[in-house]
Amino acid sequence: MASPYRILTFAWQSFWRNIWLSLVTITIIVLTFISINFLVVINFITDAAIKVLQEKVDISINFKPDVLEPQVQEIQTYLSALTQVKEINYISQKEALENFRQTHSANQLVIDSLAELENNPLGASLQIKAKNLDDYSEIITVINNSKYNNLIAVKNFDDNQLYISKTKNVSEYVKKIAVFASGFFILVAFLIVFNTIRVAIYTHRQEIGVMKLVGATNWFIRGPFIVEAIFYGVIACILAILIIYPFLNFLQPYLVKFYLTEDFNIINYFNENFWQIFGLELLVIIALTIVGSIIAIRRYLKV
Amino acid sequence: MIIFKNISKIYPPDIVALKNINLHIKPKEFVSIVGRSGTGKTTLVKILVAEEPPSKGQIIVGGWEITNIRESEVPSLRRQIGVVFQDFKLLPKKTVFENIAFALEVCGTDRIKIKEVVPQVLKIVGLTGKEDRYPIQLSGGEQQRVAIARALVHRPKILVADEPTGNLDSINTREIVDLLLKINEFGTTVVLVSHNREVINSINKRVVTLDNGTVISDQKFGKYFL
Repeated sequence: MASPYRILTFAWQSFWRNIWLSLVTITIIVLTFISINFLVVINFITDAAIKVLQEKVDISINFKPDVLEPQVQEIQTYLSALTQVKEINYISQKEALENFRQTHSANQLVIDSLAELENNPLGASLQIKAKNLDDYSEIITVINNSKYNNLIAVKNFDDNQLYISKTKNVSEYVKKIAVFASGFFILVAFLIVFNTIRVAIYTHRQEIGVMKLVGATNWFIRGPFIVEAIFYGVIACILAILIIYPFLNFLQPYLVKFYLTEDFNIINYFNENFWQIFGLELLVIIALTIVGSIIAIRRYLKV
Repeated sequence: MIIFKNISKIYPPDIVALKNINLHIKPKEFVSIVGRSGTGKTTLVKILVAEEPPSKGQIIVGGWEITNIRESEVPSLRRQIGVVFQDFKLLPKKTVFENIAFALEVCGTDRIKIKEVVPQVLKIVGLTGKEDRYPIQLSGGEQQRVAIARALVHRPKILVADEPTGNLDSINTREIVDLLLKINEFGTTVVLVSHNREVINSINKRVVTLDNGTVISDQKFGKYFL
């Protein structure tokens, strides 16, 4: 029985004594890591874009001026109970008037006209934000079918509906492209890694033949290749991290400029999900290289 | 003891490499298997080291019937039969010491034992002092000595040498043949496969001659007569 120490030593020797081939293999795995993480970045950017748009979308319900505050609060409570609703802002008649005055402060005619009126002509309003873009149409249906519908003067959801449906279409389209691109990258990565290992094992075919000749078991022969594959994966992952983080640092100021908010920090996103992103990628790459090694070495073991 | 009983080897569709070979090789014997190229000498070696199964017949090595040997048992057989080839089959990126130690390492021999045994076999093959050299830094004869040392390191009962002098000049050829004879004197059965007339005629030991896959002659103190 060969010791794990010996398998490790053979793997390390093979790694150093074929350093150029090792470097080529690592370079390809680093490129694979970078392409997969590029997709993670794209996903982050599109998700952020959708969130920014989502923040800008809401439903505004303006009540008739004669609807009293307790009634509006009752409706607010009713709508708050809906699972689709994220938050509701209440704007009283007084606030609505104040907002109107400020908006039209430059237009003296409008201000004078307001002064002529005895009562506040504006009703209270509710601004509703949904949890998801899909939820807006459901909320609107609930409002339309409720007993409160006749208290509402204006619902400005019609314009928003177009906006919502366009945003949804764009986001779904981007997601479809991302899924397709992910699949394509994963397939390319698999083929490249598998082929690299095949080349690596082809260059070792003489050594494998000698191992068989002197009585090595198949597992002893596979062992160093599998350990070497793990070396490749780990080193490539470390190098990829060292390349990706400076890129993220470079990208972050542009994201702040583009979205006009610091809410979306891609460096924090990678830090918070470090093990999920790099750990999972490392596991997949190692599993891929091990499977590739076992398949590639199989034909040389039949001696 | 090696016994070939009615061994035949047919490669598809109908190429007959060996036909009804019957051979008994006694322990400590030195046997040369000779014949022209393509007469089945190497096929016989391949069957002996379980590189290929025979199509028909039975083969027994040291009382072990290896005709239908299982894949998992092959390493164990190969540790009992040392094999050397015309092309040496050394690992170019390992030193002389590492090439020989390698055969012990793959069987899990501990390092202390390896450090003890490798210098002993290096002494037998006359390569003491060259353990840190790489194969490329050695002559053909020296490389073949390393291959023989590697084959001997398990202290096998049988040593099979398939055209071991095929790539060597006459001086190195003589040295390798002398080394094989010395190993045989120590008690190892040696099976030498060769088509070198001079080598065979100088040994004056048992000669089995193959032609077209069959044994046409088996002489106790034979010569190369083809």
